[in-house]
Amino acid sequence: MLADFGATVVMVEPPGGSPVRVLAPFSPEGESIPAAYVLANKQSVVLNVEDEAERALVRGLIGRADVLVSSCRPSDLARLGLGYEELANPALIMVHVTPFGVTGELAEAPGNDLAVAALSGWASINGLADREPLKPSGWQASYCAGTAAYAAVMAALHHRDLHPGEGQELDVAEVDVMAAAFAPAMLGAMYSGENRGRRRELDMTGGPVEVADGYFALTISRAHFWRDAMNLLGLTDLAEDPRWEPSYYRAAHKDEYVQRVETAMREWKKMDLFEELAARRVVAGPVLNMDDLAANAHLRGRKFWAKPTEAQSSVDYPGPSFRMSETPWELRTGAPPPGGNS
Amino acid sequence: MKGPLTGVRGIVITQAWAGAFCTEMLGLLGADIIQIEVRKRPDSWRGDYHAPLAKMLHEVATAEHPWNCNALYNSVNLNKRCITLDLQTLEGLEIFKRLLPFADVVAENFSPRVLGNLGIGYEVMKAINPGVILCSLSAYGRGGPWENVPGIGGTIEPTSGMSALLGYEEGPPMNSGQMYPDAVAGLHALSGILTALHYRNRTGHGQYIDLSMQEANLVQIGDAALQYRMTGAVRGRMGNRHHTFAPHGIFPCTGTDRWVALACESEAQWEAFCVAAGHAEWRSDDRFAMNGLRKANEHTLEATIGAWTRGSERDELVARLRAAGVIVAPVLTAPEVAADARFRERGVVVEVAHDETGKWPQVANPLRFSRTTATEVRPAPLLGQHTAEVLSELLGIGQEDYDRLVAAGISGMGPPE
Repeated sequence: MLADFGATVVMVEPPGGSPVRVLAPFSPEGESIPAAYVLANKQSVVLNVEDEAERALVRGLIGRADVLVSSCRPSDLARLGLGYEELANPALIMVHVTPFGVTGELAEAPGNDLAVAALSGWASINGLADREPLKPSGWQASYCAGTAAYAAVMAALHHRDLHPGEGQELDVAEVDVMAAAFAPAMLGAMYSGENRGRRRELDMTGGPVEVADGYFALTISRAHFWRDAMNLLGLTDLAEDPRWEPSYYRAAHKDEYVQRVETAMREWKKMDLFEELAARRVVAGPVLNMDDLAANAHLRGRKFWAKPTEAQSSVDYPGPSFRMSETPWELRTGAPPPGGNS
Repeated sequence: MKGPLTGVRGIVITQAWAGAFCTEMLGLLGADIIQIEVRKRPDSWRGDYHAPLAKMLHEVATAEHPWNCNALYNSVNLNKRCITLDLQTLEGLEIFKRLLPFADVVAENFSPRVLGNLGIGYEVMKAINPGVILCSLSAYGRGGPWENVPGIGGTIEPTSGMSALLGYEEGPPMNSGQMYPDAVAGLHALSGILTALHYRNRTGHGQYIDLSMQEANLVQIGDAALQYRMTGAVRGRMGNRHHTFAPHGIFPCTGTDRWVALACESEAQWEAFCVAAGHAEWRSDDRFAMNGLRKANEHTLEATIGAWTRGSERDELVARLRAAGVIVAPVLTAPEVAADARFRERGVVVEVAHDETGKWPQVANPLRFSRTTATEVRPAPLLGQHTAEVLSELLGIGQEDYDRLVAAGISGMGPPE
């Protein structure tokens, strides 16, 4: 994100390359696809921090940096003399992005998205009650923590803008960020006195259900969504009965309608149902797969996909997560080869 | 303590989760966040005006008004002041415009057409306050055929591609337990606002930020999108598995709903795991000797490990494997997260005293700053709690005029008369 919004980002990789470069899946050319995605727009320098002379070069680079981003264990930084205090540059903004933070009993423990999903509470509410809990898909904890760390760096830059020379050390733990995303579920459990746990069954009140050609979510909140959706599905008695207007009542008596609504939904194709509901301004969502999304007219209309502007690449990368009118996101290059900018 | 955004003010019209979480984070980092709410159409996360109170609040004498006692709202609106203003009245809109010069940041998560319909689009705001940063969070963003299609976390999850990736390997697509796409959108909107703030410090220029929840969430599974573009393969659901490493899963322990997450991302971790598990023979098992073999025999591997964990006590097992250097964690439930010593030590979970619901543990600021420590946590505001205070402080509107606004239904606390 720093690079995408204009910063020069120099990634120091160990000999043999960043660990992200071995992550599957791979492109036909043998390139790690997660690496292709998260290393785009960066410069790569290969240096061995264990070697004293090369470590001096790393320190030299850090001396010219506004921001230092580290995923190292605190003991490794201390051993190498690369901790914030040792770097002795009060203007430097150093951010640690690690699974469990750089303080406390887990500071040195290895972690990953799976462990973070477990420890943050997220897994306890994901999946089905009679199955194992589920982590969020892919690398959600990594992406969330990376985004939060980016925001923290921007906040620290803001402080330094107003107070020149005042850098600081930031500590962003993946598990803390995922816990922040768990806040509503946690307070809900406190107020209700119940550990809600995972869903007993998959039905329309909790997410996608089957339709004629795939899956579709009709998660009703406002009263008019209910009325208009039930009328569209031909369930006029449900639409007209005012008992169903408040969401707490619908939640408490779902057994009285779920099966009828789901049966009616199965007559529909996902995009047809979506368009009819959208025309009535009812929130609803077809389950889109990556091929659906690649062809999606809305994303094309928004010019979401992006080819690197400075590289010979015909591949459409995902675009920005937000659009800035004055300082737009830009994809200039794909991932550099290890040491490509040494 | 003073957070990094001390001195920044946000006048925000955010609601539900994505927008409210974004502006809560600004508040937790030290900004003065004034959130505008409307009595006629309360924030959906305040719930229906006549909803029943949650069970544990029945015993709390001060828990009186359901709209001030909703866990959803109260969990994502820390460190804000709440004023009520009916923006569909001329006077309400006028007051909003008089507040604008005091704003560094405006954020809103209406459907895209709402601001324009109210006559307070970005150009209008910019004319009143040239340096303003406006961030709009909507389901599908400005422009494009779905611009005015409404959406919420539960429908963005499927349309962003997230649902298609969440679920058991052989099962249907699922939504997360708690509308996860909102949290994602909130973090990205926060990033946009802070980027704009840094840029404004250097140039004096404000800007407009357009966030589509669909896109923000698609970016967080962007590697799957890129996989399709590079290989033509449509990624499916993988349960708890990893593309590269095995074991990588969540396994049952003794007792009811007790689970442990464990993974080995190197041969060294696998060796240490086998020894710590008391099953050194797994190391020499032909099916498990190398990561590639474990990946190829993952079903058998998981059954073997599961048979062992099933007879183990969760926390004892976690302690043992952690000491061995294996990636391991208990699956904590919500009450366990609330009580967790590590979250308490880090100040991520703190006791917050709310004016109606009383004192409860809540997740507050996840970010740690060494110089601008940002540790002040204030409870979510009651509906309209700070209107008189804010209007007096910023606009010099006195009690008499405030009372008149209440009588006219433009402001006030609680349901409309």
